[in-house]
Order: sequence, then C-alpha cells, then structure tokens
Amino acid sequence: MRLACIAVPLFPLAARLRSEPDLKGEAVAVCEGNGNAARIVAASRRAREKGVGAGQTLPQARAILPGLLARARDNASERAAQEALLEAAEAFSPRVEDAGDGVVYVDLDGHPAFHESKTQNPKSKIDCELRLARDLLAVVEKTGLPARAGIGASKLAARVAANLPDSPHVVPEGEEEAFLAPLSLERLAPELAIAETLERWGIRSIGDFAKLPEGEVASRLGEAGRALHATARGIDPRPLTPRAPPLTLTEGMDLEWPVTTLEPFLFLGRAALDRLMARLEAQALACVRLDVSLALDPDGHDARAIRLPAPTRDVKTLVTLVRLELEARPPGAPVAGFAFTALPDQPRRSQLSLFGPAALSPDRLAATIARLAALLGADRVGSPRAVDGHRPERFSLAPYAPLPPPDFAPEPRRKSRGLMAVRVLRPPVPIEVIASDKTATDLRLLSLKASSPDASPAISGSVKVAAGPWSLEEGWWTQKPADRDYWDVELSEGGLYRIYRDRKDGVWFADGVYD
Amino acid sequence: MSTIPALALERLLEGEGFAKKPGGVLLSGLGARLTRASELPARSGLFERESLAGWLAAMPAGEALVELSARRSCGRFALALSALAAATSSGQAAALVDLGDHLDPQGAQSAGVDLTRLLWVRPRRAKEAVAAAEMLLSAGFPLVVADFGLSPRGARCLPDAAWVRLARAAEARGAKLLLMTPWRLAGVAARTAVSASFSRPLWQGSGRAPRLLSGLCSRLTLEKDGRARSGLSETLSLPMAGSLAGS
Repeated sequence: MRLACIAVPLFPLAARLRSEPDLKGEAVAVCEGNGNAARIVAASRRAREKGVGAGQTLPQARAILPGLLARARDNASERAAQEALLEAAEAFSPRVEDAGDGVVYVDLDGHPAFHESKTQNPKSKIDCELRLARDLLAVVEKTGLPARAGIGASKLAARVAANLPDSPHVVPEGEEEAFLAPLSLERLAPELAIAETLERWGIRSIGDFAKLPEGEVASRLGEAGRALHATARGIDPRPLTPRAPPLTLTEGMDLEWPVTTLEPFLFLGRAALDRLMARLEAQALACVRLDVSLALDPDGHDARAIRLPAPTRDVKTLVTLVRLELEARPPGAPVAGFAFTALPDQPRRSQLSLFGPAALSPDRLAATIARLAALLGADRVGSPRAVDGHRPERFSLAPYAPLPPPDFAPEPRRKSRGLMAVRVLRPPVPIEVIASDKTATDLRLLSLKASSPDASPAISGSVKVAAGPWSLEEGWWTQKPADRDYWDVELSEGGLYRIYRDRKDGVWFADGVYD
Repeated sequence: MSTIPALALERLLEGEGFAKKPGGVLLSGLGARLTRASELPARSGLFERESLAGWLAAMPAGEALVELSARRSCGRFALALSALAAATSSGQAAALVDLGDHLDPQGAQSAGVDLTRLLWVRPRRAKEAVAAAEMLLSAGFPLVVADFGLSPRGARCLPDAAWVRLARAAEARGAKLLLMTPWRLAGVAARTAVSASFSRPLWQGSGRAPRLLSGLCSRLTLEKDGRARSGLSETLSLPMAGSLAGS
C-alpha cells in the first residue's frame, strides 16, 4: 500500500492568505482569542524573521514588531481551504482521507503512474513517485495553498516525510524504520509526560527509542508508550478512511469588521465566488443553485437561495444576481461573515454540427438568461407558447431550452411568408368612443380617443372605416369572464386598430394595432 | 451580402418577369435586387427573395445592423415576424427584444415562427432593450430582432454610441441585428436602413355593405445601403392571417 500525505504548513495562516491574497508578503499573524489574551497561532515568514512566533500573545508580538498585521482565525476560510485541498487530491484518487488542519491522505494504489513504477527497479520507482508527488503539489498550488508532500507505506511515514523540509519526499517501501531512525523524537509528537521521561533517559532520536525492548517500554510508559514505540519502529496500523464527497461546495470568510454597504461585500464576495467557480471547474461541474449565508452582527443569521435557469460558472453573472438579491432584500444588520454554497450540476454540452446551423453555447446561454432575468425579472424572459383559447392577449412563457439545430441546414425557402401581424396592447388601452346609433346590433363608430392623455400608445382620431362587431365570449364559468364585441377600425389620422367593448360594463378598450 | 454578377442578375430579373430598362445600368448590391415600385407587382402572402421585404425576412450573414423604421400599421411587426420565421424554421435560434410587449404567440406561430427556438425578452425601457440586445448578441444568437414598439420612452435619450456598440457587437460575432423602430434611431450605425410608409388598409365590401379587413399595403423604401443612398422602393402587401377567432 502506498499513501501520499499532503500537508499545508501553518494552515490557519495559509487559509487566511488564500482568502486575502493581498496580505501575501506582509508581516501577518493569525491569532486565536480576544483582546490582549489573543495568542499567535501562525505567523508569516516576514514576521517570523523579526522574532514573532506561535504562542506569543498579540501584545508581545506587537512589542517586537509594531507593524504586525493581525488577523483572527477564520473558520470559514479554513473549511473552504480544506475542501479545496481535498478536491485537489481527489483529482488523483477517489480514496482521500480528510485528516483536518491542512492534512490530507491520498491512496495511491491503482494510480496509473504508480502502477507503472511497480514494474521498474527501486530507483525508477522512487523517481516515478517523486514525479507523482510533484504533480500533486502543482495541482494543490493552483488552489492557492502552499503544500508539502510525502509518500510512504503508512500514514505515519507519509506524514513525517511530508513535514520534512525537502519536499516532496518518498520513503521507499520497507524502509520506514530506517527512514525514521535518524529523525528527532519530536517528529512523533509524544505526550508531554512521556517526552520528559525519554529526555531524562537521554533518548533524542526515534532510532534510539526504537532500539529499546518493547516489553520494558510498555511496563514503564504504559499503553501510550507502547503505541509510541510501535510508531517509532515504523508500524502504523491505522487504515485510510476515505471521505464521502460532499454534495455541495462552500466558500466564505469571517470578516475582520462587519460590513454595512454592498460594494465592499461584493468585492470580497467576488473573490470567494472566483475560488468557488475554480473548484467547480476543476471537477467539470457548474453551479445550478447558489446559497448565500450571512452571519449578521452581533448575533444573527440570514440565508438566501439563488436559483439559476441552467448550470453556469460565470462569476460576473453570479455577482450580479447576488447584488440584485441583496438590493431587493437587504439583510437588515451589518454582515460579519458570509458563505457561498454552490449546488453543483453537470454543465450542458452542445454538439457542434458540421453542416447545420451552429448551436448556442449552453454555458453562455445560461449566463445570459440569468443576467437578463436579473435585469428584467424572471417573468420577462423565456420562450413564448401558444395557449388554447380565444382571448387575443393570452400567452404563456416557458423556460428557454431550444432543441438542438438540425444536422443539415434546410434549403432556404424560395418565398417567405408575409402576413399582417397584430401588436397586442398589454394591458388594453381604455378608450372613449363616440358612436351615432347606440343599439346593440347597429353601432356606427364616429371617433375615438384614449381615456387618459398619458396613455401609451396615444390613440385619437375620427373613424374612417370600421368593421364589426364580432363577438367573443369565453370563460363565463370563471371569475373573470370575457364578453366582448370587437371592431377593426381605421382612423383618418392613420393607424389600424382592434378595439372592443366590454358587454358587461360597456367600457371600450383598444387591445391591438395591426402592423 | 454577396454580390450577384451582372449577367446572373440580368437573367434573374428577366426570369422574374422584370423588364430590363433600355440603356439602363445594372445596379450593384442590394439595390440590384430591387426595381422601381411601378415595376414591382404587389405580392400577396409571400415575399419573393429578390424583393426588399424578402431580403429583410432572410437577411444574409454579414449584415450587422439593419434598421427598419416605420410608423404604426405600416407592416413593421409583420416583417419582424417574417425574419424570425425565416431564422427559426431553418433551425437557428433567434431572439426578440420586445420593448412594447406586443408579441402574440399565436400570431407568430401562424406566421411560421418556431416558438421553441425563439427567446422572448420583454424589457420595460429603451435602455434595458439596448442592454438586452447586446447581451443576446454576446451570447451568440445569430439573429436578434429588437422591436422598439409604438412610442418608446427614453429612446431619444440613448446616445449614438449605444447603437455603434450594438453594431460592433453584431459584427464581431457575425450576427444579424434587426432594429424595428418607429423613427430612425440608429443613425450612422445602421449599415442598411429601410423605411415603411404610406400605409393603406385593404377592405372588402363597399357602400353600405359590411366591411371586412383583408390586409394592409404600404411602401418600403431603401433609405441607405452601405454608404449609398438608394431611394429604391417597393410595395409591401400583407394579407390578413385569419379572423379574430382563429388567432
């Protein structure tokens, strides 16, 4: 069995720098705790060079380095970074264990490159595994995390190898004990009491400890000492526990200061969405629903769900949708942290045709429809559908999902159809009509004008020719029946209209313009 | 737009029954396909491909921005539906930016539009209509018809740069943008400009007999073709599709 361990040194700091890349190169420290009791958990190289180190309180560190940038430990960023690390590892193997705090184990059994190395001599095998480890690190680096890698036959050997300065490091098969022997005992992280005892005994290296008889160690140091002794001999019985891939992907961060305006939030949110979409892209997935979770100051929570018409990875579209959502329903309190959760789905694919018309790119189409829906409203974008009935204004809207174009473009028609069309006026324009004979059967229309001077379109003029009436009755069994008499009217000032009189209340409307 | 060689054009016109003017010089470009209104017989229900209406209905690729300006009841919306019908019936996707929310899906279907391939966008303001048209062109729609309705509010306030930008967006993607406006809006950005005017409804029946609307006639004029000012015109005849009950 061959395992790789990927470890991110100073993980809290690395996760923070991934969320705030502008801090890279600065003297930064990540603290845990509040006020003067806050202790440094991790510090950047520039801060460490000045003497700042883990365990110091923030006032102590500031006394050494007044310009130190301090950031609180960010659980949201660390969770997202750990997920990104796991996803990068899953590009190499389906069996990946989440060991937490920037450590991931990868089962390399069955990997094509590793399988190839089995047939070669030991030197070639190590070279092959080193190449694989470098590839792993290159993929992890794309997620914005600096990592080290080690390959060994057990989790312990791989972990210790990953923590060595010369990364990546490969422990040859069967040489775990020899590999561990010269290393300091601190690499095994013994319990404090056991470490003090071994210090008194004068044992410094793992090899020295491994030489001690197992029974004597067990009788003097107990079960914990026996387990440590087995570890020192390169024995690690812990199996790899692969994780179940999550159904959703999350990116977010806890903010240093609560945000009260939209623009700073979107600035930070865009960066998080960039990272989220990059993770989706690495898995050839797209986002079909975006959940926005907001931590409110001082104590509150707000959650939104933004549904997308089709899976997309377009960050610009998602930022626009988040903006519109928050503008429509502001959270009501300062935002102290946020998390974007993407529900992934397979992006739509289109097959290009050699001879037929080109199909639209599904990804771009989905992004465009989402942006149009955000700009105009979801009910104002779609594919029109004919509806059974007689009311001229009837229509329905379906989601736009065009059929794939034909493989061969049809022959262009010699003649195209040209029929008079009707512009439907939605809603109908109320009009006032002057007629000479007001009988139900014979009505001579003389002139008409819109009831309101602000009506759009403006309709006014004397009737030149009128044809009608034609009766329309529909839905008499419903709450909103239609009982109308229609006329086609030509006005002397120009314009050909379709007007009707509501038989129930006698009100006139123009509901169409022939065009 | 492809240029027809002179000889082929001559044969084409003769084949269509158009008499060659004695001593006349054959025109080039779009104008070559047209004849004077007096020479062009009125069509009914079908556009000939060699007519201006037929050309508008099935615009060739490369026509970035074509503007058809017409007052109400001059056949502007019918030509928009013809263009959509030509595109969607050949399997292409098409988009209609409908500023006035005027589309009648039943009428569009009877005009030959494949509704499943049509994206209907209903903006409320002219500015939104222009933004939507640009988005649709960027998405790769080969044909975008932007109808600015009967009295578009705020259309006059749109800067000229907006139309130039739309024309460039269409040109960059090899798409066709058909602007349907109540008056000329796109200005110099329109590669081709056509106007429709002198609308005349056709009525059946006379005297005291009941009337029946049977169609619409108007005059189509090619205002601009590239950099040339053509001035050629033809009669556009649009018969009634059906009665109200059938719509």
